[in-house]
Amino acid sequence: MANMITDALACARYNLRARDAALLETVTGLNLPSIIGETRDGVAMLGSDEWLALLTEGTKLPMGEGQPVSIVDVSDRSVGIIVEGLHAIDILSAGCPLDLARWPVGRASRTIFELVEVVIIREADTRFRVEVWRSFAPWLREALKTASNALTA
Amino acid sequence: MSGFRIDNQGRIDRARPLSFTFDGKAYRGFKGDTLASALLANGVMLFGRSFKYHRPRGVMAAGVEEPNALVSVLRGPKGDRSRFTPNLRATSVELYDGLVAESQNRWPSLRFDAGAINDVFSPFFPAGFYNKTFMWPRSAWEKLYEPVIRKMAGLGNAPSALDPDHYDATFAHCDLLIIGGGPGGLDAALEASGTNQRVILIDDQDELGGGALFDPALWSWLERTRAALAASPNIRILTRTSAFGYYHDNFIGAVERLTDHLTVVPDGPREKLWRIRAGEVVLAQGAIERPLVFDGNDTPGVMLASAALTFLHRYGVAVGQRIVLMAAHDSGWRDALALAQAGVGVTAIVDVREHVAPQLIAQAKEAGIAVHFGASVIGVGGRHEVRNVTIAPNGGGGPATIACDAVLMAGGWTPSVHLWSHSKGSLKWDANWGAYLPDQPNENVRCVGACGGAWDFGAGQSVAALPTPKPLHKTKAFVDFQNDVTAKDIKLAVREGFRSIEHIKRYTTNGMATDQGKTSNLNGLQIASEALALPVTSIGLTTFRPPYTPQTFGALAGHMKGGLFQPTRKTPIDGWAEANGAVFELVAQWRRARYFPQGSEDMLAAVNRECLAVRAGVGIFDASTLGKIEVVGPDAAEFLNRMYTNPWKALEPGRCRYGLLLGEDGFIRDDGVSARLAPDRFHLTTTTGGAARVLNMMEDYLQTEWPHLDVWLTSTTEQWAVIALQGPRARDVIAPLVDGIDLSPEAFPHMAVREGMICGVPTRLFRVSFTGELGYEINVPAAHGRVVWDAVMAAGAAHGITPYGTETMHVLRAEKGYIIVGQDSDGTVTPTDAGLDWAIGKKKPDFVGKRALARPDMLRSDRKQFVGLLTEDPNDVLEEGAQIVADPAQAVPMSMIGHVTSSYWSATLGRSIALAVVQGGHARMGETLHIPMPDKIISVKVCDTVFYDKEGARLNG
Repeated sequence: MANMITDALACARYNLRARDAALLETVTGLNLPSIIGETRDGVAMLGSDEWLALLTEGTKLPMGEGQPVSIVDVSDRSVGIIVEGLHAIDILSAGCPLDLARWPVGRASRTIFELVEVVIIREADTRFRVEVWRSFAPWLREALKTASNALTA
Repeated sequence: MSGFRIDNQGRIDRARPLSFTFDGKAYRGFKGDTLASALLANGVMLFGRSFKYHRPRGVMAAGVEEPNALVSVLRGPKGDRSRFTPNLRATSVELYDGLVAESQNRWPSLRFDAGAINDVFSPFFPAGFYNKTFMWPRSAWEKLYEPVIRKMAGLGNAPSALDPDHYDATFAHCDLLIIGGGPGGLDAALEASGTNQRVILIDDQDELGGGALFDPALWSWLERTRAALAASPNIRILTRTSAFGYYHDNFIGAVERLTDHLTVVPDGPREKLWRIRAGEVVLAQGAIERPLVFDGNDTPGVMLASAALTFLHRYGVAVGQRIVLMAAHDSGWRDALALAQAGVGVTAIVDVREHVAPQLIAQAKEAGIAVHFGASVIGVGGRHEVRNVTIAPNGGGGPATIACDAVLMAGGWTPSVHLWSHSKGSLKWDANWGAYLPDQPNENVRCVGACGGAWDFGAGQSVAALPTPKPLHKTKAFVDFQNDVTAKDIKLAVREGFRSIEHIKRYTTNGMATDQGKTSNLNGLQIASEALALPVTSIGLTTFRPPYTPQTFGALAGHMKGGLFQPTRKTPIDGWAEANGAVFELVAQWRRARYFPQGSEDMLAAVNRECLAVRAGVGIFDASTLGKIEVVGPDAAEFLNRMYTNPWKALEPGRCRYGLLLGEDGFIRDDGVSARLAPDRFHLTTTTGGAARVLNMMEDYLQTEWPHLDVWLTSTTEQWAVIALQGPRARDVIAPLVDGIDLSPEAFPHMAVREGMICGVPTRLFRVSFTGELGYEINVPAAHGRVVWDAVMAAGAAHGITPYGTETMHVLRAEKGYIIVGQDSDGTVTPTDAGLDWAIGKKKPDFVGKRALARPDMLRSDRKQFVGLLTEDPNDVLEEGAQIVADPAQAVPMSMIGHVTSSYWSATLGRSIALAVVQGGHARMGETLHIPMPDKIISVKVCDTVFYDKEGARLNG
């Protein structure tokens, strides 16, 4: 399969914070992963009190007013880039220092690609989703394509 | 005298002859040659001129440790000088058809170099000479001595063209990383082959084999082993790859050379940087032979014994036909015997030891080689090539001269512990090796083969300099060949009081050249040890530092050039600005429209037009780059109260406040208007350049000082596009577009925020102003930014809506005296200095910076304070940064009492305006001060910072 670098479909994105995961689940109605680095139903646990939810475009979550939670709509903050193909790991490894080959499907982490902060999710053996802030996306697409070209040179 | 090709020897491919040039002269070689081996085969002995003395030099080694034969290579198409690389070791340059190489550091030619005059005057150039000799007169140093010395000393010429090549990079992970593809490394790789381990094997040569490449007895084993490894799916083999540094936690940097060995430069990267994280590292880097230190040991034709063996067996080249070996070690004898067996003429072996193993002596005699014991070479005849050696018994006695055309040195072996030492593994002195061996590891690493001391080179004796009857100051016995450091220099350093090897190294520059002392460190230590009458282990050992061999800047820079140098961040509205002729400027990593010239307008004309249009009608400005942070949680107001100077708890939802952020030191760090959307939700703004810094600072306090607060921070800078609409017509423009928000002044006062819809898109509409006019900042989700901008432009057409850029934004705010953090402040300005006392919550028990504000120094009245300046001549526009003085007639150095921070032509006022910080500025209202410029002195009057609409009535339009 040829390597492909494409934009993901639009989606809703929420940054979810709370010390009490159960409370967050009650407020949002979502099933949250409980181990850092896991994903469940489109929600990735990035830190001890932080989740990133990637949901169907247009989904609106309750704001949890008055509760010790933070639910912030960041749908437009990032774009998703799909890196797919036999060399997907090699392409990402051009700039990402993590050992992606050892990631089970469903693993996610905030990390970097060279100078740019990203969140990477392993969606399948040879497919990764890279979430990056909107204004860094053109640079990242260019960097990924350069890495891809160098591999097939 | 002249080397030549030996039949039936070498791994070169005689079916593939190659043509190349050296200093413009054409030569032939074969595929598999290096530049050094091919030139030696052609009888070339002279490769370069030494750094300081410009002495003629030839090849001394066969590998990366070569100190003398530094050349410049020009790759690429004819006439294209953009791929010029200086200071390459000829022993490491792979020969290819059409290679163009030049020698360095000589004028007018290699054979007749004017710089050799330095050798004649060498008594004036000992170690540290420029601290002693060329000192007077002092003025001559800068204009004469230094430039001349720099021109004369030095190696290659730095390239002057931009590097046109690309360089690739990658991270890689493995369970086992083997550095070195010689017998030791290959054994380790075989052991791991066929297992589940991810293995990477690196070697810096074009083929695996290491020392086996010049040991024909091992070649069939080598073939079988290489085939087995190539067939192993779990082993990745990287040749032409140098591991240059070993970093924390088994992180290794290596550079793979992809194209330098090719005749035609292909598309694609020239080199690839490998950043490898390894579970375990096996170092198999071998050992490097030591030269011997004797007068004339740098004459072309004097080289390491193992180098001669390598040139014979790997490249099929005899380095001489009447060779003399000077040995302190058995390995030299074995090399000489191997040469003799291959038909190369070996005349004599001179050994500094009195006793040598009888088998070796017997073999030598059988080969017809004369042997001398307890003797040393005390001189070398010949300048551009060896003609003879003079030897003498160590204890004194008659010298004898032996005619020869090459002299081999066998000074013993030094295990390569460079990368081991980078990893902070400890070393232990071994008297047998006369060298340091790896001792205790600091990382998960082990050494195999010679670099770990697990190799039998035979027996030998460590010597400092060889015994000689000549007085030391009459000899040139080289220790560091590349930096021209002699035994005399090291003894000089000791005489001058340097006791530690760190000082001796730096004073003499021994070990400081591009070869990093690979052939000089240990000899230098031995000589110092003898001079100090102290054991080697008490003198110290200098630090090994990456890179192990020189690497290109390109490989380390990777993609960071051209389009990928740095992300240029653009807003959702940037496309409109570009299509409408914006002139851009960079603010942090963002590209922002600075002004929109129409027709033939220059910046001043455009800015004047934009400013007048905003105040007369309405202007539109892309403010999307402003930093935004959503602060959410029951403790949100409490948190902001602690971070900012302002009080936040009483701020009603739906209202905004200008926030001032200080550091613990009490100085202004950032500012911005922030809105309370709900009791537990705030929308903060920061400056464009401060967004990341402010978020980091807040997270720092939250995580380390107040982790119990129920509040969380989310960056929303890129979630919202921000369209600023400023001017008396602003409300008229957006009224038809807005839904669900009452825009009347009573319902929507200045410094308020409302949520609703604009053009069918959800919006947070702020009524705020950085211009002093009626104004709004329309926040919409970024994906809709452009559409809403277009709609506002269309709706504004009837009102003469005018797009404006950052330059106009700066002028308009300056007319109102609003500061820009980082322009009018520089990290030393307090709120009081800036006239922002009103922003401090006086009743707050604490906030970041509060205590610092109470320091006596922060309360002094003569601090630099923020004021306005009006020039006497209204057409004079001051220069930002210009210094301010009270007395223009004062003699230089004048007392500078402040400087101009912002300065513009104000179209609104029809004259220039400026903002400044001046000592005790607040008490100087009406005072005349002066600004000395190169061509004239400008007089100014100190005034209030608000130049226009002092009452602020226009905000309520």
